[in-house]
Parts: sequence; C-alpha cells; structure tokens
Amino acid sequence: MFKNYFKTAWRNLWKNKMYSGINIFGLAVGLSACLLIGIYIIHELSYDKFNKNAARVVRVTMEYEMAGTVNKIATTGTKVGPQFKRTFPSIEEYVRTFIIHNVIKQGDKVFDEPRILYADEAFFKIFSFHFIEGNPATALDARNKMVITRSMAKKYFGDEDALGKTLTTAGKDFTVSAVCEDVPKNSQIKFDFVTQFLNLGNGVNEETWWTANWITYLLLHDDKNISQLQQQVNDYMKSTPVRKEAGVEGNNYLSYHLEPLTRVHLYSSLPGFEPNGNIKNIYIFSLIALLILIIACANYTNLATAQSSGRTAEIGMRKVMGSSRKQVFFQFISESLVITLFAGTLSIILSIILLPYFNKIAGTQFSALVFGQPLLITTLIIFSLLISFFAGFYPALILSGTKAISVLKKGFAFTGGKNVLRKSLIVAQFSISAILIIFTIIILQQMNFMKTKDLGYNKDHIVVLPIGGKMLNNFQNLKDAFTQVPGVEAVTASYETPEYVQWGDAITVRDEKGKHDISLHAMPVDLDFVKTMQMKLIAGRDFQKSDFGMMDTSNNYQNYRQPYLINETLAKKIGWTPEQAIGQTIEKAATGPVVGVVKDFNFSSLHDPIGPLLIFLNRDFSRDFMLRINGSDVQPTLNRLEMVWKQRVTDRPFNYHFLDDAYNKLYQAEQRSSALFSVAAVIAIILACLGLFGLAAFTTVQRTKEIGIRKVLGAGAGSITFLVSKNFLQLVVLAMIISVPVAWLISSKWLQDFAYRINISWWVFLAAGVAAILIAFLTVSFHSIRAAIANPVKSLRTE
Amino acid sequence: MIELKGIYKWVNTGNHRTFLLKDVDLSVKEGEFISIMGPSGSGKSTLLNVIGMLDAFDEGEYNFLHESVHKLKEKQRSSLYKQYIGFVFQAYHLIDELTVYENIETPLIYQNIKTSERKAMVADILDRFQIVGKKDLFPTQLSGGQQQLVGIARALIANPKLLLADEPTGNLNSKQGEEIMRLFKQLNDEGMTIIQVTHSEKNASYGSHIINLLDGMIQDN
Repeated sequence: MFKNYFKTAWRNLWKNKMYSGINIFGLAVGLSACLLIGIYIIHELSYDKFNKNAARVVRVTMEYEMAGTVNKIATTGTKVGPQFKRTFPSIEEYVRTFIIHNVIKQGDKVFDEPRILYADEAFFKIFSFHFIEGNPATALDARNKMVITRSMAKKYFGDEDALGKTLTTAGKDFTVSAVCEDVPKNSQIKFDFVTQFLNLGNGVNEETWWTANWITYLLLHDDKNISQLQQQVNDYMKSTPVRKEAGVEGNNYLSYHLEPLTRVHLYSSLPGFEPNGNIKNIYIFSLIALLILIIACANYTNLATAQSSGRTAEIGMRKVMGSSRKQVFFQFISESLVITLFAGTLSIILSIILLPYFNKIAGTQFSALVFGQPLLITTLIIFSLLISFFAGFYPALILSGTKAISVLKKGFAFTGGKNVLRKSLIVAQFSISAILIIFTIIILQQMNFMKTKDLGYNKDHIVVLPIGGKMLNNFQNLKDAFTQVPGVEAVTASYETPEYVQWGDAITVRDEKGKHDISLHAMPVDLDFVKTMQMKLIAGRDFQKSDFGMMDTSNNYQNYRQPYLINETLAKKIGWTPEQAIGQTIEKAATGPVVGVVKDFNFSSLHDPIGPLLIFLNRDFSRDFMLRINGSDVQPTLNRLEMVWKQRVTDRPFNYHFLDDAYNKLYQAEQRSSALFSVAAVIAIILACLGLFGLAAFTTVQRTKEIGIRKVLGAGAGSITFLVSKNFLQLVVLAMIISVPVAWLISSKWLQDFAYRINISWWVFLAAGVAAILIAFLTVSFHSIRAAIANPVKSLRTE
Repeated sequence: MIELKGIYKWVNTGNHRTFLLKDVDLSVKEGEFISIMGPSGSGKSTLLNVIGMLDAFDEGEYNFLHESVHKLKEKQRSSLYKQYIGFVFQAYHLIDELTVYENIETPLIYQNIKTSERKAMVADILDRFQIVGKKDLFPTQLSGGQQQLVGIARALIANPKLLLADEPTGNLNSKQGEEIMRLFKQLNDEGMTIIQVTHSEKNASYGSHIINLLDGMIQDN
C-alpha cells in the first residue's frame, strides 16, 4: 500500500516539475534557515553545560549603592570567595579568576597572548576541562605551575613534550604542569594559559570586599542549596559587623547575587570575560526561522490546492475503484512527505554551502561537522514530518473529500470557490515579508546614522597602540618619538579610549541644598587629548605642560592640585555656565581647578544619553597611546611607526588598532541583527514571490478559455494582463496595509533602546510597499502577459 | 437483481423544478445485457449513475440484490458498489501516472488483497485480454481502443456481478468500437450482467434488451 502511495507521489512530482521544484526549493530554503538558526540556538543553549558540576556552580555578582547610585557588576573583591567558604558550610570550593593580556616568552619565541587566566587552585576541580597530560588535582598546587592548552603546547613547543618546560610572563618563570584540550567554544571562561590567582601580585594577597576586579565562582555541595545560600548571603551582608568591616554606612548597601553557571550566558545582564548571549535573541532568531518556514509551507499548501483542480477526475476514479477517503488522504500526505524529504535532504546541502556566510553574519565559527549532531538530525526529521503533515493536511483533507461522481462531471474545480485560505496565506506571506523589509530598512538607517553621527570628536584615522610592561617608565621619550614620525599629526594617551568610557567615579558639590555627591564617569588623559581627538572647547583651554607643576607629589601630596576638564553636561549639572566653570574647584580625593569645558561628546554607546564626565590630567594611568595620523598616508605611516616601535619597545610586539574599528565593534550586536534581518527579508520576499509565480501560472492555465473568449470578443493585451494580475495585486496591497502599523510598532520599539536615533519617515513604508507591489506585479505579469499575447484559437481548441 | 420503483430525480432552478428522472420503473435480472438509449439530455447517464450508486435520487425505491439501497447510508452504499459493480467510462479515466499493470491492480489494492494474489489476478486478466505486452506502458502510450480495453480489464478485475458502461465506444472509431462490443457480448455470454448507455442502434443490438429514455421517462416499447 505505502509502496503504491510513494510510487504515485513520485510520478506526480515528476510530471509537474515546475511546481515540485518551487515546493522543494522553497521548503529547502525554509528548512535551511531553520537548520542554521537551529545550530546557533543549540550552541547558545549548551553554554557551560559540558561542566560535570554545572548545576552546582554559581557565579557571584556584586550590587552596591554609593552616592545615590546603584551599581551592579560581575566582578567581586578578593574576600568574597574565601570568606564565604569559611562562613557557609554548603560551599565546597571557590575560585577567583582574572584574564590578562600579556606577552609570553619561551626561548626566543615571543607572542602577545590575550587569554592568560589567573585562577585559584580549585579551578580544575570546579570546571571540567579535559586533560591530555598532567593531573587536574595538582596542576595548580604551586605558584610556579602553569597549565596550557593543546594549541599553545604546539605553538611554543612544536612536537616536543611540553610538560616540565618553562614559559616566562610578567617577569616570572613558570613550569608547564599539564596540557589540556582547547577550551570548548561554549565555555564562558576561555583561556590558553592558567596559573595561580595569587601570581597577580601583592594587590590580591590581601582579602578585601572592594577593589572588585575578579570574577568569583562557587561550587556548592548540592544544587538544591542555591536559594538557601542566597538567603544566608543576604542576611550576612546586612549584619552590622560585616557592614562595618566593608565600610558601608547609612542607606548604602553591599550585596551579592548567586547566578547559576548555566544561566549566566543567556540570562545575566552582566557580561563576564566575554559578552553574554541573550535569550531575547534566541527568541527573535527562532521567530524568524519560523516565519520563513511558514512562508515556505504556505507555498506548498497553496500550490497543492491549486493543482487539485486537475486531479479531481483521478480522485473520483480512485473512489469508483473502491478507495476510501482515508486512503486518498494518505496518498496526498505521502506526496507531501516525499516533497519534504527531498527538501530536507536539499536543505542539509544548502546549509553546508551557506554555513560560512552564516558564520559571518552571526559571528560564530561552526564547522560543517555540526550537521552530524544526532539532536539536529532528529529535529530535522521531526520537523520534516510535521511540515509534511501540516502543509499537506489541508489539501489532502479537501481532495480526499472529492465525490466519486465528480469523475463524470467536467469543470468541477475547488479552485473556483472563494479560496479564503489561499488568499489569507498570500496576505500572510506578503505581510511578513513587508514587515521584515520595513524593519530592515529602519535598522540599516539607524546603523548608518550611528556610523556617521557627529560624536563630538573625530574618530577617523586614530591609531591606538596599547601601553604595557616598561613603556610607562619611558613615556615621554616614546611620545616624542611617535610625534616625530612623518604622517603623525598629534599624540596623546589615556586610560580608556573615548568611544567607551567605563570608569565610574563621584565628586562632591556644595550648593544651596548643602553638600552632596554627583556620580559621573571619569577619564585620566595625557596632554594634547582635546587636540588629538579634535574635540571642541567651549570655554577655557586644553591641559598644558605647566599644569604638571600643580601636581606636586612632594610632602606626601600636601600641595597636590589636580587640573580638570569637564564636559558641558557636568557643568550644567553642577549649575555653572561654561564660562563660570573656569577656575572653579572640583572636590574629590584629589582637589583641583577646572581649566576648560569641552563640548559634549559621546563617550558611551549611543543607547545611552551623554552623562557628566570628568577628564583629569594623569599620564601614569595610561593604557593606550592614541595617534592622529594623516589620512592620505596611512600604510607608510604605520610602517614607519612599526620601525620606531621595534627600536624602542623590544619586549612587546607591534600591535595596533584603529579607533573607528573599536567604535564599530560597540554595535556588533546591531550589525548582526541588521545582517540577519536583511537576509531574512530577502528570503521571505523571494519565497513569497515564488509561490505567487506558481499560483499565477495555475490561474492563467485555468482561465485560458476565458481569456480566449475575451480576446475573440476584442479585449486588448493590456486589459487581459490587468485582468489576471488584478486579483493577486489586491491581496498584496491588503498585505501592505496590514504590515504598516505592525512594522511601525516593532521599529519604534526597537529604536526606543537608542538615546540617539533616527525619526521613522513615512517614505520608508511607501517605498517598501511600492517595491513589494512592483515585485509581485512583475512576478505575476510573466504569466499574464504570456496569456494575453497567446493566440485565442489555440486556447479555445483545448475544449 | 435490480428493482427500481418510481424513481424521481430533480434539480431546482429558482422556483422551477427540472426533472432528470421521472417515475422510472426498471427491473434487471442476472445475466441480462441492457442498452439504455435516448437523445442528449434524456437522462441516460443519470440513470446509469443512480444504478451505480454514484449519484443519489430524490424519491422512489431501489433494491439491489435484496438490499434496499434507498435506506442505506452513504458509506454502506459505497461498500456495496465497490463489491458488486464495475464501471467503464467513455473517457476511460485511466490514471495517467500509473502503468497499465498498476491501473488494473489499483482496485485490488483498495480491497487489501495480498501482493501475491494481486499478481496472479492481474496476470490472469492481462492474459485474457491479450495485453501482457503492454503492461508496463502508460495510458498516454496506448491507442483509444487499447485504453478502453484496460479500462474494462480494470472494471472486471475485482469480479463484479454488474458492469456499467457509459458510452464505452463514444471516443473510439468504428473498428475499435466493434471489438469492444464483441468483448461485451462475450462477457455477457459468460454470465456477466451488463448495462450500457449508447447512442448507436448497432451497439444496442448487441444487448438483450433496449430501454428508450426521453426527458427522464422510460418510453413504452
């Protein structure tokens, strides 16, 4: 019986090659979208789950209120780990972690290594990384031990055995105690080297609640204890002795949250060593995959019902021969099954071809091997079965209801009816497409707006050179050397580059309301900062060399005065006009005069409005040199800089990046969404048009006789084209009308997240609508024009 | 075998009622070969469809092999015709996607007959109709006469007691038509009950009995 079903199904597909092609291709594209998004989702959901103890591990995050501002950070002080373990018996182990970017030397090999992990001894007890050589229990039990990954062993020691060999970093020698497999991509902690936490220096030997720079993880005896422990921690941090010890007074508080390890990546708002994923994105991605699939399925349903008109005689005959309704129903379900199985197979091939492009869009690094995952294959098969059932259900149901008598009656066509379902599906397809198109245009406009917005400084042609090792001791010489390189126009340095300032701070002001604190962002910079960044001063001046004279460190800082630049917003917040501000005193740990007011510039993401900012002169904090170079002479200038670097900085490789690249990285998430939405919108409209193309072909064939008669009666080609296209275009226009308010709602919701955003303009909707209608018209007119110019004698003879 | 008493069938157009069949009485005994004749629109095909239970009627009694068809539900009616009646059509109505062999086999599949048995039955009938050599061809590769031969083979494969044929030679040339009629005669001689609709006096003459229909009413001979 089933053999017969499939045989008939196969021959039917072969006979109607165009429709089968449209169906299979459409479903394959829909399934590929699902597959690719599926591997991404599976990857995101698998984060950190490879750890055997995952359920019992928590990350400790810190929340505190100071100066009226609540801060939440993923890092904690050194005290949290050891003190909690001593206090709460449900904690088995703790580990404090920190990742450093530094140079590692082995003989004459020197590399810049971005992922050197400093962690307490229990690290490998809490997390499960696979060891190739060495013992996880003893791998970190001495200060001079270091664990390296397989790729690092290969990089530094080639084919030699790495165990027991020496590596040097931060002026210390380490012995390789173990080699572990490279860290899986779904780990929130990614490292190439691990050594003891205490090697970070004297600062970490002392246990303190503050100086919160370290990420702390706890291993509990039992995963059921997490909420109980959270309660205990809350009570403990509220107790008077602890508050006193931590120096928390009045309304201020300090508390800690326990985040289950497996929830950190998708649910935490606090990024750790790497940016977190977002469960919202998982939902959005799933929704997009689903929408594309719906469009593809709708094509199938539509074409199958349209084709049915040609098959009533066959079904009637089958019934005369004794087939039951059930048997006809399953025959049609089999056809849809054959189509989806083809589509499923094709989708795997398509996905493998498209994987590199997907990786680029989603910022992932999947290899084609992921398609071998049993979970993925099973899901694909289940999905195919579901699709074949849902897309095939309606046509099968209707067709199987055909009466035996219809074999004897000509002209019966279930296409002749109102076709509410088919029309609704077309409207749905084009609505989804239009919403995606409009939303994509708005995202792209916003992206372009952010890229070209006047930030208040010029981010182009700024070379950023990281400062490390002994370079600070040699600061002025290096700066002079860079300044003299032809092509370099100005040089400055700072703690953070201006595109994203994170240093939080506070100052004290006195006014009629009395003494109170203002929390703000602060950035230590070197001379020439305003000049190099091409910022505008609206009052006062930039820092100058003589300002160093104020900063008198003798007599234990007795006469130390710190010169400040403030931004417009800070001046306004304190209550000064820019002119009034000059010469006023900023009250802080280091007090000093305001020498200038800079025009507001965006020092944070465009999601946030510009806040108050304090800029102070202090080159000892500098972590990056920033060089403005001549835009017409970039590569030669970089080559000359590298030569100067090699002469003067012998212990570090020449690494640089451009400030505008760093700026663009801030919006990587948006960039990815925009790319994803662009692709989704294009796929959606192509699939929708493909379906329309197939349907138009059908209607035209069906109306051949009508068209012939109309032509004999004198209708022109234009009116025939209009006649055939009209019905479809009505539906597309209706879809546009539905999609506009939905797209407007979604877009304005999305834009709300940006403090600096575009205004949604009406022409976007008009353009998208006109484009969709035009595309739909072109699709349909292929058939309608062909019908219009056909010889009517031929079409009438078919009777 | 067949008893029709006072059968009426009509359609309503506006407030006007058009009768397709009007007070039809007919009885057919096993082994008869009946030809229904009459001009276009006289209700020949409608009567055949009513007998074949493909179409319903509005009034009257219909007894088929001692079953009261007018009292049966749709489902029981269809199982009755599946079991006892074979159909042959003017336009053959072979399934284009199936080969000759598969077309003939299909009714057996719907009756859940085992593969080995099906093979034997189909081979038998192919042999009897001398179309073994054509069994792997598709309908479009056959002449009209050959297609109708396959259609008849398909109608007979499940051993029906009654064969209904709606202008079986209407699409054929005279030579092909004659062959088909000879086959019918032979089947009838072997004991098959046959009812055919035809326009041709000559074809009607193969039957044992002619019924003339005009405007849905049987004319007295």
